[in-house]
Amino acid sequence: YSQINYFNVLGFKAEIYFGSLEEVQLHSCFVVPSPAVIFNVINPALSPQFSSSFSSVNNLPPNLLLPSNLVDPDRLKRPPPSADCSLPLLRQCDAVVPAHLSPIHTWVESLEDVDSEPSGVAELHPDVFGVPPRLDILYDVEKWQRNFKRISHAHTKVRSEVRGGGRKPWKQKGSGRARHGSIRSPLWRGGGVSHGPRGPTSYYYMLPMKVRVQGLKVALSSKLTQEYLHIVDSLDIPTPDSQFLMDLIRQRHWGHSVLIVDVGEEFPENILQATANLKTVNIIPAIGLNVHSMLKHESVVLTLQAVKFLEEKLLWHDERFAPLYPFNLPYSDLP
Amino acid sequence: MRTEVIIYIRVEEITPLHNMAACFTLASAVFRTALPGVLRLHSRTPGATGTTAGIRLFCVGAPEQKKAGIIESTEEYKFVERLIPPSRVPTPPKHAGPTPSGWIPPADSPPPLPYMIRRSRMHNIPVYTDLTHGNRKMTLVRKVEGDIWALEKDVKEYLMAVTGKDLPTQVNEVTMTLTVKGHFDKELKEWLATKGF
Repeated sequence: YSQINYFNVLGFKAEIYFGSLEEVQLHSCFVVPSPAVIFNVINPALSPQFSSSFSSVNNLPPNLLLPSNLVDPDRLKRPPPSADCSLPLLRQCDAVVPAHLSPIHTWVESLEDVDSEPSGVAELHPDVFGVPPRLDILYDVEKWQRNFKRISHAHTKVRSEVRGGGRKPWKQKGSGRARHGSIRSPLWRGGGVSHGPRGPTSYYYMLPMKVRVQGLKVALSSKLTQEYLHIVDSLDIPTPDSQFLMDLIRQRHWGHSVLIVDVGEEFPENILQATANLKTVNIIPAIGLNVHSMLKHESVVLTLQAVKFLEEKLLWHDERFAPLYPFNLPYSDLP
Repeated sequence: MRTEVIIYIRVEEITPLHNMAACFTLASAVFRTALPGVLRLHSRTPGATGTTAGIRLFCVGAPEQKKAGIIESTEEYKFVERLIPPSRVPTPPKHAGPTPSGWIPPADSPPPLPYMIRRSRMHNIPVYTDLTHGNRKMTLVRKVEGDIWALEKDVKEYLMAVTGKDLPTQVNEVTMTLTVKGHFDKELKEWLATKGF
């Protein structure tokens, strides 16, 4: 590690290591040289016993505010699948992978049991799940998603719209008072606003389609490199109990919020009921995948069908013509 | 005024050939003699007033289909489907070397260099010229992957050999593009094509 800093964190002496992510297992072929912070508490015996939400470190106070980019050591325990893995290859890339790149391998898990091991390995296309981390594109797409729907209804009246103020209040000369033309000018109390917000204002704009598509690809790739992307074979759960899902997520260290993505309009009843009352675990169809939701939820869970759907739709933009007419009209080979 | 309605009936069940032949001869006979109202099947609705509608049947078909009415046919839609354009750029056919138009296909295996330059969606080399402020000439190399600084070094060496000048270049690591001062798109395209990109 390059630096070791000592901090006094609420009376507990702690070491905070700053290292590069090269020392952490990576899936993609691009090295992200951003700092990773690993938190280690010295002298656990001297610290008082508090109950906390972290299952691994039991000695932290519950109201301790930790930075959100802390890397939990428990999450780094399982390395990515190697080439000579014994588990079956459940999914291969349908599209052609460029010759200078190779498909990315990830574990395929199942939601049947709280502590079940991965049941297979899946291949992911590098042009969707291994693109360079373009933070500027993520920022642009997130900003667009927030603002293009915005209509601000702030409205003030101008001096001509305020009731009254047509007559000159007193004569121009001789009264000894300042000269005025109307009682509703912006100088007056109760007068109109000279440069205020005017009417419902729309902040609508559209980013180019390819930028929005690249934003989705960058978000998926970032989730994969940071080990927040999980592939699941199907969304079948044994019980419709929300507690089962929470236990599963806590056991597998998926994070405090999970976004579950599947293709199709119908989902299994159990998972719908389980996620219905949960605020931090949400389920969406694959067409509803967007950068804001992916950034808002810490972990993203995709089914194999969703991976196939997303790869097909996102890779089509790399090889399509410019639209002769809008794409919502029929073409012969739309994805 | 007579209005004549022509009903085109496609016989869906398998009819023997002689029946079909009879059907067509009947149709031709009807067409030639132009007998209106020879075969009227539900020609007039009870509420119809004024104009008489004469129906000509081009095909009688099997006897049990006498009262079939209109049958929709979707087989002719193939004439519409073949007009709908494709949305994807097709992959070019295999060529051994340069084509007559000057297009050079990429090498089958990527060259063993620390960088890779992909082709554009139209399978061309992504080198473009730019002109700003009326006199500022630039050449842009896009779609670079891998070690972009090694590419910059190679480009500077090559252009030094070509022009004799040390040209200013700009590397953008975020967008992975390389900009060179001056218009050198032809030279750079040939150079990259010979390398196998």
